[in-house]
Amino acid sequence: MGKRVAIIGTGQTNHCSSREDVNEMELVYEAASAALMDAEMTIQEIDAVVLANMELFEGRALPDMWCGEGAGAFMKHSFKISTGGTSGTSGAISGYYHAASGLFDTVMVVGFEKHSDGNTAAGMALTDPFWDRHIAAAAIGNFALSVSEYMADRGVTKEQSAKVAVKARRNACNNPHAHLQMPHLTVKEVLESPILAYPIHRLEMCPQSDGACAIIFASEKIAQKKCPRPAWVRAAVTRHDHIYLGEVKHRLATMRSLRAAAKSAYGIVGIREPIKEFDVAEIYDPLTYAEIAWYEALGFCRDGEGGRLVDDGITQMDGELPVNPSGGVISTNPVGASGTIRVAEAALQIHGRAGKRQIPDVNLALATGYGVYCWSDVIILSSKPG
Amino acid sequence: MNRNLQQEELLRIATQMNLEFRFPAGIHYERFFRELKETGRIMGVRCPECKRVLVPPRPVCGECFVRTGEWVEVGPEGTVIAYTSIYFPFIDGSTGKPRSIPYGAGLIQLDGSFSAINHILEEGDPGKLHIGMRVKAVLKEEREGNIGDILYFKTIEPEE
Repeated sequence: MGKRVAIIGTGQTNHCSSREDVNEMELVYEAASAALMDAEMTIQEIDAVVLANMELFEGRALPDMWCGEGAGAFMKHSFKISTGGTSGTSGAISGYYHAASGLFDTVMVVGFEKHSDGNTAAGMALTDPFWDRHIAAAAIGNFALSVSEYMADRGVTKEQSAKVAVKARRNACNNPHAHLQMPHLTVKEVLESPILAYPIHRLEMCPQSDGACAIIFASEKIAQKKCPRPAWVRAAVTRHDHIYLGEVKHRLATMRSLRAAAKSAYGIVGIREPIKEFDVAEIYDPLTYAEIAWYEALGFCRDGEGGRLVDDGITQMDGELPVNPSGGVISTNPVGASGTIRVAEAALQIHGRAGKRQIPDVNLALATGYGVYCWSDVIILSSKPG
Repeated sequence: MNRNLQQEELLRIATQMNLEFRFPAGIHYERFFRELKETGRIMGVRCPECKRVLVPPRPVCGECFVRTGEWVEVGPEGTVIAYTSIYFPFIDGSTGKPRSIPYGAGLIQLDGSFSAINHILEEGDPGKLHIGMRVKAVLKEEREGNIGDILYFKTIEPEE
């Protein structure tokens, strides 16, 4: 068992499609400074810095080299985590490990991505040169394949999918950092947006955003001193599934990596009824259908009931388990930061600093990460150190 | 620092690079693509423990962490287990150019294989695609020893 660790501060940029006014280091500096201000700390009080970034998307190698000083990493213990879409949650898990080991009292994690700098489509095409490059159609085409399986497996409807998009973009209106804020979006508009890859419409997919997010982890003694309501890390688990899409059959319906990570994390905390016990969840939803599939994989309902959860409004802001009050990845997606944002938003809910998107009385919060074809991270935060 | 982007001329550096790469295939891909080029056969490897036949072939079974063993022929017929029609001009990673749209794509479970493979379908109309449809690999006449030697999978009409 690791030592007790809590998140005591978070900071985000305002995410949008193009931050052409700044370079990537400044983006990182904005998030790092905001987190330090939130935690009422100086960079001198940070022992270690973990950076998370997808790489390749910005067309610049070694992002930690170009941006590390913006995160205050100069002459500190520091390195970068890069695990595709899970980079941001894996970075957070790494930050937690650093502090939980007892070797570091304070660790800052900064996830970042500046899609507008580079060529995301090219980054997505740089897969295995012998096999994937010829036939892969980026994240959307690969998801579309899985969605056809999922709809057949579970009977999820287009309308249920579109409702998830509406929920996300409306929730995003309460989040000043969110990229796509659409207060009046309707199911009809979602389903009338262009099809990118059948059956996925443009408005069912996440955007590409520029943004950064920082989190400060602290040991028990420092957390108790610095933070009135620390967000204690109670579990942090990561699982990776096969490398080829064709070997992860019924990917959305089975989602083995997320089920395994959730089972392990729930076991550590002693969670039996996640829908009742969690007060809020910030899950990595790259597209609408995935959010519904993750409800099932995370045990919010039985298999096949994900669509009903949407229809019944269970995961709306006023539902039994609000999912993604921030608007989620469907509304904001600076990939290397997207996972970090999930953890930060879950922590904010426990800190009670989530502003207009605050859910009342949050004591137990879930954050997840999703990456590559089928990699998953699960992090559980609590108002109680356990 | 707030900048007025309407009034300021932002400085940008535009670059274009042509880079050359040479990826050695390794033992398993080499055997797979030589066989495809020379005989037109699609080959997989069987894990000696879990018995799964893996396509593309690779040296280690991820689930059992043992060396894969026996080579077996799979396909060329198979079953579509997932499908889509692509309406967005994604970059073809082997040419660097956008692919012409729309086109069909599927996960194809080749007969005799555990793994499915993702590849292009002859049929691009989502109304005519369905899970469970039978397809067959159509190969190039002049093959080069890469995955493009499989042009696409054509629909096999069900027998009367």
